[in-house]
Amino acid sequence: MKKSLKPLEDILSKNLDRAESFIHAHPKINFLFGSLFEAFDSLIRSTRETAQTQPFIRNNYDVKRFMGAVLVALAFGWVFPSIYFYGWQCVLPKLMVSFIVGVFIVDVSWAIIAREGHISEGGFVSCMFIPAILPPQSPLWLTGLGAALAILFRNILGGVGNNLVNPALFSRLFLTICFPALLVAGYQIPFVGIPDLHALRYGLDTITHATPLTAFKVNGEIPSYFSLFLGTASGSLGETCRLALILSALWLIKIKVANWRIPVSYLGSVFIFSLFFSLILGKAVAPPLFQLLSGGLILGAFFMATDPITATYNQTAKWVFGAGCGFITVLIRDFTTLPEGVMYAILLMNLLATPIQSLAVKMRYRI
Amino acid sequence: MWKEKETIGFHGGFNFLDTYLVKFCNIIEEVSSGSTPEIFKYSIPDREVKYVIVNLCPTESWELPNWAILENKTLSFLDKLGEIRVRYFPKAHFFIAINKKEDRTIAEAMNYASNAEWMKIFALDQKYPQDDPVLLTKVILGTDINFGQDTMDLGILILDAQTVSAIYESCILGNKVNSRLIAISGTGLKENEIINVQLGTSVDKVLHYRTVEAGGYRVFVNGPLRGKEISDLSQKIDWSTNNIVVLKEQDSKVMFPMLKSGELTFTTNTHGELRQCIYCNFCDSICPVDLEPALYYHSYIRGEKHKARLYNLEKCIECGLCSFICPSKLELLRINRECKALGKKL
Repeated sequence: MKKSLKPLEDILSKNLDRAESFIHAHPKINFLFGSLFEAFDSLIRSTRETAQTQPFIRNNYDVKRFMGAVLVALAFGWVFPSIYFYGWQCVLPKLMVSFIVGVFIVDVSWAIIAREGHISEGGFVSCMFIPAILPPQSPLWLTGLGAALAILFRNILGGVGNNLVNPALFSRLFLTICFPALLVAGYQIPFVGIPDLHALRYGLDTITHATPLTAFKVNGEIPSYFSLFLGTASGSLGETCRLALILSALWLIKIKVANWRIPVSYLGSVFIFSLFFSLILGKAVAPPLFQLLSGGLILGAFFMATDPITATYNQTAKWVFGAGCGFITVLIRDFTTLPEGVMYAILLMNLLATPIQSLAVKMRYRI
Repeated sequence: MWKEKETIGFHGGFNFLDTYLVKFCNIIEEVSSGSTPEIFKYSIPDREVKYVIVNLCPTESWELPNWAILENKTLSFLDKLGEIRVRYFPKAHFFIAINKKEDRTIAEAMNYASNAEWMKIFALDQKYPQDDPVLLTKVILGTDINFGQDTMDLGILILDAQTVSAIYESCILGNKVNSRLIAISGTGLKENEIINVQLGTSVDKVLHYRTVEAGGYRVFVNGPLRGKEISDLSQKIDWSTNNIVVLKEQDSKVMFPMLKSGELTFTTNTHGELRQCIYCNFCDSICPVDLEPALYYHSYIRGEKHKARLYNLEKCIECGLCSFICPSKLELLRINRECKALGKKL
């Protein structure tokens, strides 16, 4: 199999080489399509660069794999479960719109306008997040707008490595401010049972239901923890199936892409603070286990807060970062009119990450 | 696609022996220099030696393996060591560091050590850079020394297996030692071999007929991690040359690198494009002396090289693991060295 493909590979590689030298020879074409070609080329071919300084041998793990691992984990964490729960007609168009608008329109045109040499891999991860944090029945244009905002915001700050706050969450914040009605409604009841073709396509359409956290705010109703854990309670498209999210996040932690300290301290502090408040205030606030299993907490703690660029670099500071996220989440959920606070908590702590980091470094090295 | 072992188990070092499998065949040939060979001379240190550490734990897979010297000869090797002790270092404590996985050697040495009070056996992990003088003294004696400091200042002498046998041959038996074993390996060679080379032979002569015909290659003396690249192949081999690595210069693009990582692994290719730091924490989790190399990088790109010295930069042992693991392919070791050099001038 491999040997028979070898001549084909050679032909493809030669043609790519030819295309590359053609693009480099013509400045105008290079200006328009250079970065797009580079992005495509770097996906299927290795680099030409060799190590010029010590050490002369490098590990074969690069940023593309790092981001690719997150994409794989997200696919198993929310895309496949939500296809089961809401039908592929609900999930796949949103993903396609998100990727086309985010990566192929905004990212590419940014690369052309700003004359960037390459298209960064991180954009894919942001685009994968956008449908997951919007309600299942949100219109397609909302997803597209969210992806465009996220990628634009990421690029304005200077691309991967320079983000101040999580771009996907920032764009959701923007959408929450601009279109509050669309983000409060549109939560659909997931499909449960053995799926037939109709269910795999549409899910249980048009039956909307308030999210468990909103329902608790309104009438103190708590669904069974089992349904929350398996994802049969309503919620944003990607946040409901906690089981799959936790499993894929554990894989990410195992290959060291996600740091275990942040989810542990985040979930731990949510548990401790909500236990504390529910012991004092009784049934007025949500009980700890319900808080852990509801809303976007699992998705946020395992995938959003662990975004290495917006979290702190220092390992000790990561504990503070996670604990702060948990504290703000519980505060918003328990004492404000908002039902959910994960987004605000992570965004706030992203901003606070820089001072926490510098303080931790100063304490560690006694400067 | 995601099966690579090396991305998982690293913490405070990296297991090169299991990741980069270099198999040496048993053939040991003689390469003569053509002219009169240089003769190994060992000057016994005139200062008092309190501790002698014998390092039998090579951590890079291209280094000369222990079996080339010790195979079936562990006991006679330890006897030699005992004679050297009686003759030159009668008051010194001897510590022998052996790779944890070499059960047989450890068992033999333990058996021997039970009758010899002067000797202690240490079983070490085979993590690079465990055999660095700074880490060896830290693990075995618990003393901190600075990087680049002469261990003899503290009365610690570090020897490797081949030097021990050479000292025995030349100083105790009075024979002339004019050759040493050298491990040559890499993707630029037809075969990995262990060769007996006369001192003073040029690298060119050793590699003659052994390199692959097609494609470029680069030659590194003492390994691609800590060693030096040599462009002038007429350089002569002396006693400090432990191994020569010839790596294929992979400067053309390869299709679908994800599917065939094995082809690319042992080459000079960087396996990825240069990107910005993504704060992935790989560098500080792999660092054997618990530093945070990304801090130096951030100080450096902000133009504040002098600030890098605030973050314990002087502890860096320049093992190069941070540059090795960095997914953004940043030249962290070069930056560390530049920041350090700035410190010396001021």
